[in-house]
Amino acid sequence: MARPAFQDRSAITGIGWTEFSRDSGRTVLALATEASLRAIDDAGLRADDIDGLVTYFHNADTAPPRALVHALGLRECHFQLFNALGGGWACAAVGTAAMAVHAGVCRNVLIYRAMNGQSEHYAPPGGPPGEDQWRAPFGVSHAAARFGPFVTAHMARFGTTSADLGLVTVTQRAHAALNAKAMLTSPLTLEEHQRSPWLIWPFRRADFCLRSDAAVAIVVSSAGRARDLRHAPVLVTGFLGGTMSTALGTQGAQHPWQLNAHLAAPHLYGRAGVRPEDVDFAELYDPFSGMVLLHLEGFGLAAEGQAAAAFAAGRTRLDGDIPVNTHGGLLSEAYTHGLGHVIEAVQQLRPGGVTDDGCDSGEHDYDRAHCRQVREPKLGLVCGECGDSSLLLRAAA
Amino acid sequence: MSSGRPRPRADRDTKPFWDGCAARELRVQRCAQCSATRFPPGEFCPVCHSPQARWVTLPGTGTVQSFVVVHRAFDPAFGADVPYVVGLVRLDATRPPVVLPGNVRCADAGEIRVGLPVIADFEDLGEGVAMAAFRPVDAGGAGER
Repeated sequence: MARPAFQDRSAITGIGWTEFSRDSGRTVLALATEASLRAIDDAGLRADDIDGLVTYFHNADTAPPRALVHALGLRECHFQLFNALGGGWACAAVGTAAMAVHAGVCRNVLIYRAMNGQSEHYAPPGGPPGEDQWRAPFGVSHAAARFGPFVTAHMARFGTTSADLGLVTVTQRAHAALNAKAMLTSPLTLEEHQRSPWLIWPFRRADFCLRSDAAVAIVVSSAGRARDLRHAPVLVTGFLGGTMSTALGTQGAQHPWQLNAHLAAPHLYGRAGVRPEDVDFAELYDPFSGMVLLHLEGFGLAAEGQAAAAFAAGRTRLDGDIPVNTHGGLLSEAYTHGLGHVIEAVQQLRPGGVTDDGCDSGEHDYDRAHCRQVREPKLGLVCGECGDSSLLLRAAA
Repeated sequence: MSSGRPRPRADRDTKPFWDGCAARELRVQRCAQCSATRFPPGEFCPVCHSPQARWVTLPGTGTVQSFVVVHRAFDPAFGADVPYVVGLVRLDATRPPVVLPGNVRCADAGEIRVGLPVIADFEDLGEGVAMAAFRPVDAGGAGER
């Protein structure tokens, strides 16, 4: 399979985030600016080194790039993107930046996602025209009712249970307990999960992700330039950002339990010249616990129908063969619409490893009482909703 | 039906579908060139790109491909309706298969399952607007719901 020209030519050089909270008491622009300045500083760059801005949203709940041009005092901006594709697009935001840098349009592109997702939760009444006519009249006003049918179909086909979904929440909560910035860190047992009330079956409250006031930001630079910056670069080895799901998003691939991930995975791996077995950890989009099982199978990290068994066997824990959502994900860290997953992958792949667990910086002892660093990972997979976008990130040799 | 419930906002492509619901018929386009059923409705056939199509009335039967059960209505207009089922119904006599989202009204909540045979009913939303909802095929008389 032909390798894309930009493979390993662009790198993530900076990451930043704000406090994750339920009520920031600040504007979305202030949050976006803080996360951006932190990411730029983390890269060892100055604000006027940034000459491209990329963000995305589902509902228009964020600050547009032109506001950031002003807020950051950029001297040049050669590329902006303000994309409405939502959580499916998270990895494509990074991939788009990588392409813009490799194409020579920009030197350094800043990607940000900022929202007061809890304190100013915004759901436009009536929804947009078009697709909404196939949802709103039937009482489909929450994403759980749109993505739930994939999980229901998986249950019908493979005998997956609510307790299986609970394994995802419980596992991710244990990871979040080792993440200083996570919003939910108290231990959760499977019994507690099973007592959680149904909101939209097959999902209980404990299967739903958080709402958060949060901003996160990422800087993408050329791999060559990255070698002169503060941190060892994390290379963009693979990227896809399209979907073949049906027009209304009701089906992702051949079978009702399959997501676009099933179609994307062979292309993602094939173009990068790697196999699923080469992936050392996976940060999988998790708006609802059950979607993680489907992503794990869709990307070939568990055989079809075997994702729950992988969780039950501990394969997805930090010392398993395929650690999943090592930061706690949208379920326990914060709702950062997928960019938090990318930031976690970057932390895991940097030589010094994660900086916000309970270890002293740079000294990881893999004691799961305080350390969430995966053991010497080389290749990480990150995906957006349904695998509609995906990234393979690699530690620079 | 609950008042304040969102009504379908038909567009130029979909108006005949919603008009069909008001006439208590489930109508979809069939391509005049390649016979593919077309859903969501549109000007061009996604298979052969022909702009020619005719609207045909389906028998209204199908099977539940998958579903959710809403226990908490995030839209208050549906607060009195919980729990309710939102299904994806694979409609008979369509090719490629049309998968239509809609409510499935079961007398017993435990009755809903993947593969359940269902048939379309129509629910009046007021002011001449109606929508297709489904009930289990074996549930007896259609009745007005």
